[in-house]
Amino acid sequence: MIEVQGVRAGYGDGPDILNGINLVADAGKIVTILGPNGCGKSTLLKCIAGFVRPRAGDVRMSGTAVTNLKAHEKVRSHGVGFVPQTDNVFSSMSVTENIMLGARFVARAEREQRFEALLTQYPALAAKRNRKASALSGGERQLLSLARALIAKPRILLLDEPSAGLSPRMMHEVFEAISEIRAREGICILMVEQNAFEALHISDTAYVLSLGDVAMQGRASDLLADPAMRSLYLGGDAPH
Amino acid sequence: MFQFVVDVALRACDLMLIAVGMSAVYSLMKFPNIALAQYAAMGAFLAIVLQRAGLPLVPSSIVAVLIVGVVAVLLNRVLFERMLAIGSSTAMIGSLAVSMVISAIFLVIIGPSPARFNLEITRPLRVLGARITEHQVLSLGITAAAISVFAILLFKTDLGRCMRATATNNLLADATGIDTRKTKTAVVAISACLAALGGIIITMKGEVNIQTGLDLLLPVFSAAILGGLGNPLGAVGGAIVIAMAETLITNVNFGPILGQDLVFLPAAYATAGSFVILVLTLLWRPRGLFISEVKRV
Ligand SMILES: Nc1ncnc2c1ncn2[C@@H]1O[C@H](COP(=O)(O)OP(=O)(O)O)[C@@H](O)[C@H]1O
Ligand SMILES: [Mg+2]
Repeated sequence: MIEVQGVRAGYGDGPDILNGINLVADAGKIVTILGPNGCGKSTLLKCIAGFVRPRAGDVRMSGTAVTNLKAHEKVRSHGVGFVPQTDNVFSSMSVTENIMLGARFVARAEREQRFEALLTQYPALAAKRNRKASALSGGERQLLSLARALIAKPRILLLDEPSAGLSPRMMHEVFEAISEIRAREGICILMVEQNAFEALHISDTAYVLSLGDVAMQGRASDLLADPAMRSLYLGGDAPH
Repeated sequence: MFQFVVDVALRACDLMLIAVGMSAVYSLMKFPNIALAQYAAMGAFLAIVLQRAGLPLVPSSIVAVLIVGVVAVLLNRVLFERMLAIGSSTAMIGSLAVSMVISAIFLVIIGPSPARFNLEITRPLRVLGARITEHQVLSLGITAAAISVFAILLFKTDLGRCMRATATNNLLADATGIDTRKTKTAVVAISACLAALGGIIITMKGEVNIQTGLDLLLPVFSAAILGGLGNPLGAVGGAIVIAMAETLITNVNFGPILGQDLVFLPAAYATAGSFVILVLTLLWRPRGLFISEVKRV
């Protein structure tokens, strides 16, 4: 479980991008962060993952303060899996190498087994296991990055716009994969999404950011029905 | 003819380890560390000093190589990491400055006269008509072994996988649980050790002086760029091409063309050869000769 308390953050000497964010994401749930471009969604995810150090506030994982841990430390000690928004594969390495890099902390005996299980799950990757990641399509890269994170058995999965740039069919497949992960692994999934409508359908709760503040939050089903939410982010009026 | 092959191989092995080190550092740190050529000279000087102090050649060399590795890590922590925070060109200029300072230190401590190992002089062997000394054979063997060990490290070990992952995508490597700073430190140490070994090998075949490091800089840099900076094994090929060019320039008799018996270009022109190749590479193959064939690291 992730708790974010009063996190303020920014880059270098620049202004605050996040002005005191509070957020909770429980184990076994999908929590989605929505909001317009540039409002700080990726920055929030990077704060949680350990790439941006908060200027104030706390990040806790399973009750422990992890605010100042580095990204790689969080991976090992708190089981964080992170799929960045862009550049989320090792492009010059093969599909197999990409996935296996995620398995460095998995016991040797279990590695192969989990690898094969993931390939069965994602046949698109199995067919290209010896190809370089740079030869994959956008959707395949997304799956590859997901597989790289999953082979480590994460307890927390951070996904930054997993459906960005995908065809509708591929987007559906990726969202399907994400809700399957929740059902199967019972882990805490926090994802940033632009495709609000589809994302809310698989989410439990959601937060809407606006210029570095939480503008709205609630159960995903409530937000889907909310008229203000509909007109602002879901591109349509509430059904009468 | 076979003499030409031997000469090229010997010259290539002068450049190879340092060029591979430079390329490896570049792949992770994203700046060409010019001081590597000086680490080569430093390795040779240290080994000579240790040998004069009474240590046999092999332990002297091993200790010297390790000391250079430690010095490189310290310089990296104290200077280059900070310079890199400002920018990669700052770090590159900084490494040039460090090279000059190292040269000055050599001058003060060791003086301008060249230094040699205390080695038994052996008669040259004759192989297929080419002359080659035992030390030259040894230097080829050590270079080949060092390159092989490095290649195995890069492609068959966990550290190598972490190195390649960090080189390809630093942020994602971190997100995959790789301690990228530790990985970079390891590469800085390994490349400095390679360079120091390279310097010792050069000195085994002759001598080292305070100019050696700076003289190596241009051909080594050219070899690394030719191989595609950041592609360490490409630098092996780069070193061979540079060695061929230099050897052609200095060993070919231009006499017949000019209607005289013997006309050889002065050895100083060899440098011009690597310079020309460097410029041509930068113009036509800025990412190196092998980019389409060799996996970029
Ligand atoms: N590495 C960075 N350095 C400086 N500013 C950045 C950096 N990354 C993002 N920003 C700025 O932070 C703000 C929020 O960016 P981001 O968190 O990526 O937004 P979102 O993911 O919601 O689109 C933007 O104004 C962006 O320009
Ligand atoms: Mg973003």
